Amino acid sequence: MRALISSVYLFLYAPIALVVLFSFNAGRSASEFTGFSTAWYGKALGNSFLVSALQNSLMIAFTSAVLAAVFGTMAALGMERLGPRTRALFDALLAAAIVVPGVVIGIATLVALVALFSFVNPALAILWPGERPPQLGLGYGSIIAAHGLFSMALVTMIVKARIAGLGRDIVEASSDLYATPLTTFRLIVLPQILPSILAGFLLAFTFSFDDFIIAFFVAGSKTTLPIYVFASIRRGVTPEINAIATMVLAASLALILSARLLMREKKSKSGE
Amino acid sequence: MTKWYRENAPITAVKLADELMRLKRGSVTRRHFLGVTGLGLATAVLARQPGLFNSTAFAGDLGSQMSIATWPNYHDPATFEAFTAATGVAVEVNVFGSNEEMLAKLQAGGTGWDLFVPTNYTISTYVKLGLIDELDLSQLSNYDPSTQNARFTHEGMVDGKTYAVPKNWGTTGIAVNSSKIKAPVSSWKDFFEVAMTEADGRTMVHDYQLTTIGNALVSLGYSFNSIKPDELAKAEELLLRVKPHLYAINSDYQPAMRATDAWMTMCWTNDGAQLNRDMPEIAYVLGKDGGEIWTDFYAIPKSAANKPAGYALLNYLMAPQNAVKEHIANGAPTTDSRVLKLLPEEVTSNKIVYPDEASLRPLEFGAAVTLTDPGRAELMARFKAA
Amino acid sequence: MRAMNRKRNLATAALVAPAAAWLAVFLVLPFIAMLVFAFGERAPEGGYQPAFTFAQFANLPTRATAFWNTLMLAPAGALLCLLVAYPTAYYLAVKANPRYRLILVSLVVVPFWTSLLVRTYAWMYILGSRGIPNLLSMIGIEDVRLLNTPGAVLLGIVYGYLPLMIMPIYVSLERLDRRLLEASADLGAKPVSTFFGVTLPLSLPGVMTGVALVTILLLGEYLIPQLLGGGKVFFIGNALVDLFLQSRNWPFGSAIAVTLVAVVVVVLMLAMRIAWKIAGTRQVDLV
Repeated sequence: MRALISSVYLFLYAPIALVVLFSFNAGRSASEFTGFSTAWYGKALGNSFLVSALQNSLMIAFTSAVLAAVFGTMAALGMERLGPRTRALFDALLAAAIVVPGVVIGIATLVALVALFSFVNPALAILWPGERPPQLGLGYGSIIAAHGLFSMALVTMIVKARIAGLGRDIVEASSDLYATPLTTFRLIVLPQILPSILAGFLLAFTFSFDDFIIAFFVAGSKTTLPIYVFASIRRGVTPEINAIATMVLAASLALILSARLLMREKKSKSGE
Repeated sequence: MTKWYRENAPITAVKLADELMRLKRGSVTRRHFLGVTGLGLATAVLARQPGLFNSTAFAGDLGSQMSIATWPNYHDPATFEAFTAATGVAVEVNVFGSNEEMLAKLQAGGTGWDLFVPTNYTISTYVKLGLIDELDLSQLSNYDPSTQNARFTHEGMVDGKTYAVPKNWGTTGIAVNSSKIKAPVSSWKDFFEVAMTEADGRTMVHDYQLTTIGNALVSLGYSFNSIKPDELAKAEELLLRVKPHLYAINSDYQPAMRATDAWMTMCWTNDGAQLNRDMPEIAYVLGKDGGEIWTDFYAIPKSAANKPAGYALLNYLMAPQNAVKEHIANGAPTTDSRVLKLLPEEVTSNKIVYPDEASLRPLEFGAAVTLTDPGRAELMARFKAA
Repeated sequence: MRAMNRKRNLATAALVAPAAAWLAVFLVLPFIAMLVFAFGERAPEGGYQPAFTFAQFANLPTRATAFWNTLMLAPAGALLCLLVAYPTAYYLAVKANPRYRLILVSLVVVPFWTSLLVRTYAWMYILGSRGIPNLLSMIGIEDVRLLNTPGAVLLGIVYGYLPLMIMPIYVSLERLDRRLLEASADLGAKPVSTFFGVTLPLSLPGVMTGVALVTILLLGEYLIPQLLGGGKVFFIGNALVDLFLQSRNWPFGSAIAVTLVAVVVVVLMLAMRIAWKIAGTRQVDLV
């Protein structure tokens, strides 16, 4: 059993170890180790395209996750008060948003937006008073929207499950004590569902940050980190990519660890 | 509609339709139309919203970034670094595996490319579809049509207008690792036979309909550019027979050839020269039975966001002293006699780069029809999905 | 009272409106557009032109191999995943030292924080001739080819989706009431029969969730076959991308996308039916 488990962890971590190892490669190639160097970290941070791809990815992941967390939570709260039919429809659409493959979401969004723009842009061109009419195009907006679709459905599902597990009596008790709905929400419901909202937010962020296929179709001229990496695989990966991947990994590990420590501290304090 | 509304409305429906028709007939200016209808203000306000969707704005200066779409291993990275040092514009390089892929990206809109590298046979289609603009030659002072070899460069002109200027010409041949493969390979017929025998599991074909289908056609004795259904059917049969024996279908074969994962591949001049330079055991041969001769051009997409930078880079690349470095690194033959004079003897005498006229004779330039022919597009997609 | 009700309805509407609008604009509308495109024609230069034809759907059999590959390799990949994931999850939930359990579980999730693309690229190196085949040639086994084979794709799938399979199984095993196991042992059951009589049935919901989740995600997979299959091992996702990015056949691509969604729905319903069946009978058994 031990041996099996060790080999599973080896399996999971061997490629990651390789990625980290080659980030310290002195040579140009990400597949032939020629000596130790940290030069690629400097080069990665000096590469304006790589850095802007990273910034784009962070911005898109953050925005879509925030929107998903807010709208998803709102929907989860509102849904239980919908009529049974509307609710079933809503449930079906949310399930669809989750199970429809990313590649289909990407293509459908592309098809729909291109069709939409083919109406809107000529209209803008006619109506625009200036010399150069603005043209709607694919970009940050379309990526955020397409990522947000999946994320929002995910958050709604998670928060809804949590609400269903909430004691109704405590909410009713609160309103019996003449608390306004908003106060009840703020003092009773929110603290209870906050962990699931946060979990949903984190999942949404991770999903968007790592997504390639949806962004591939709807990004237009914008480059996200996965799109940049995919393009680099075609033009020949340099250890720059390994360096940035290692930095992302280190940053997220640090985040997880500090969150853990913070929670432990809180717990021990409240325990006193 | 209340009487009050009718009297105070900015414009009535009938009047709007009337003005719209006048606009269409061209009897009023757009400004007049917008002034009368009050729509201008509305669109102006709407469009200035920091939008959900990005809008392309006019850039007066060169900006700080631009993007080029090109082929794998096609440029000397130092060229772009030098351009960035000279102008402050960083260049993003996007690499594609086929002209079809470039066209698909441009058709879907919003590529962000300011310069790209289409092959000769695609240019007339780009012009027809309105995806590229006529080049403003006044911004390309380093380009001199009189020093260009018209044999390779004529397809950059459509209806007497210059839409694209040449980067280099080249051929599509076969790269063979002679330390792994002993059988002689001198034709596309040999290529497909060896692919199923000695190079089983070690052969690559392009992810590109023109060359993969074209060379299969050539091996069967048909034209590289055939779109005849019966000939294409035979080519498909051959490709499907070869497929289980292939290492990969990929236009970027250099990494696999260098790692000796692959031993033989369809190959472009420049890659052949680069591979042979670093690994002399990899030979580059032209098919006796035919194949492709081509010219790659530079063109500027109509949708380019940073045209000034696109022109600046293009003009930079057209300067013979810059182009010569590109040609030495990239290994493709030049179309420009000024560059040819500057190239060192070891390059101009390299038979991979400048083959004998006799070996070029069986080769064909790609034909425009192959780019858009649905039969070839679907055959390639079927071949890959099989 | 009526005023209050109306206020409540307004509040409800306000709460669900953003999500509803989002679903309408970015799910329903695109799906309708895709459906319309699927009945259209490829424009002469590629793209879409309006028409009403079933030609695209009639052409679907030409992608039978890709559909077949997907329908075979997706469940196969999921089952292979399960084979590795179950013992791992079992160890984590039941056998592991509680002091390290949290760390071990976190370690399963951490790979998610490096890009799947980068990790898959690392596999391209490991399976390429400088990796494992190179090591094998040192002990005299020459010219082994691993990359660009269905095996490589399966391996990439197991690698990429393993955490997604481990987690639901782990959760269901962790929730398992340990007293049941003790009771079973006290009543003289051997560990093996305890496992098959108690542990396995109770963890089935987690197993079902994992298998269904991974299978459905795999039905739309593109990256792993693209990178580890060398453009030769084609999933339907790859065929789809190809139609948009190479042959520019938007209507046919739309028809395939619509069909893929239909396949996903069928698989999902099948999975749910199986899950109900298993859950139903097991519950009866336990009583």
